Amino acid sequence: MLGLQTLVGNLTNIALLASEGEGGGGVQFPPIENIVKWPALFGEGSFYAFNKIALISMIAMIVPALLFYFAGRKASLVPKKLQNIMEASLDFVEKQVIMPAIGPEGMRYLPMLVAMVFFIWIGNVFEVIPTSHMPANARMANPLMLAMTAWVMFIGVGVKHNGLGYFKSALFPPGVPKALYLLVTPIEFLSTFLIRPFSLAVRLFANMLAGHILLVTFSVLCITLWGFTPLVLVELLSFPMLVAFTGFEFMVAFLQAFIFALLTAVYIGGALHPEH
Amino acid sequence: MIGLLAALAAEVPKEVINPVVPDEIGEIFWGALAFFTLWALLRYVCLPPLLKVRAEREQQVLADQEAASAAETQGEQVRRDYEATLAEARSEANRIVEVARVASEAQRSQAVAVAEAAAAEERQAAMADLDAARAQALNQIKGDVASIAISAASKVVQADLDLAQNQSTIDDYVNQASGTR
Repeated sequence: MLGLQTLVGNLTNIALLASEGEGGGGVQFPPIENIVKWPALFGEGSFYAFNKIALISMIAMIVPALLFYFAGRKASLVPKKLQNIMEASLDFVEKQVIMPAIGPEGMRYLPMLVAMVFFIWIGNVFEVIPTSHMPANARMANPLMLAMTAWVMFIGVGVKHNGLGYFKSALFPPGVPKALYLLVTPIEFLSTFLIRPFSLAVRLFANMLAGHILLVTFSVLCITLWGFTPLVLVELLSFPMLVAFTGFEFMVAFLQAFIFALLTAVYIGGALHPEH
Repeated sequence: MIGLLAALAAEVPKEVINPVVPDEIGEIFWGALAFFTLWALLRYVCLPPLLKVRAEREQQVLADQEAASAAETQGEQVRRDYEATLAEARSEANRIVEVARVASEAQRSQAVAVAEAAAAEERQAAMADLDAARAQALNQIKGDVASIAISAASKVVQADLDLAQNQSTIDDYVNQASGTR
């Protein structure tokens, strides 16, 4: 990772120097607000201001809903084509998220976790879709909303299944010497009820924002270095890196969706059995 | 990377809001609307048919497995019955073969005994015929030898010898000679 940072730094410096040497006034990196903030298509200034992020969120809702709808519309005992793919995705969430984290009793949370995986994944994958190049989760809104949903969900599950004893089990873990509660209880309170939603949201948001900035950086480098100068040779490195990072971000888009859903399931599983 | 961040930082005007803090309430509103709509659609509309078919398939697979297991058990029972029948048939065949062997052995012994008796009888008859023929031949030889001997002796003594008178002597000699051979 350190090597990568050094490489990016060096490429940036080369590009800066190259452009300054040509009297171009330096590389024209876009301001941060230009790559994460989008003007409203309508409703500017209101709570329903609809911008590019909102559009991606709506697409991330419509696409999986349509896929699952058409897969289930003529569902047969022997699945074919779309039904096969969508059932495989259900199996993935069931076997890789629910069963390891919650167990068979977690199947009731399948719709929520499937919605999370697809909503986050499709929102993320717009990072590498041409003409879009913007992951919805590189803005804090959706990760925060999803993390708050997970937070409310696991606390609600804990209270529903254990009553108010859930808080006692969570804050006063059994088997700990009573004197240590002075130290353990504040730590548990912070980690379970305050840091969890924050870490969930920031993990997704920061990963996607970092990937977005990385792709923007290499795109700017490729554009800047393209010309009849010796520095065009650097393009031999920067362009393959751009392609490689695009593939990498495609993988990260799914990985972050999986991690978010898995951690949500782990928190729900912990709330179901706080004594563990 | 530090250079890039420095360049980016230099470009950011002071009045720009921190990108970490969500400043667009509309994004939260539409994001929440989209997510909870998707959740509700999956929960009540899209997933139930797929989950129903999947449950039916699992039931079908279980039923097929049970049927296959029952068929396997039945097949095993049929195989056992067949092997028992086969063993019984083999035993019966062995018994029949043994009975037949004993019967044929008895028949063979009986046939051999009959044949041996017949052969002995025929041999005895043949021996009797042989003895008769020999006795006949001996009597004929005796007569011939007596005639020749009388004729020869008459030539030697220059006198006619009576065959009847010397018959007993010649018979004794012939009997003695035939007995020594």
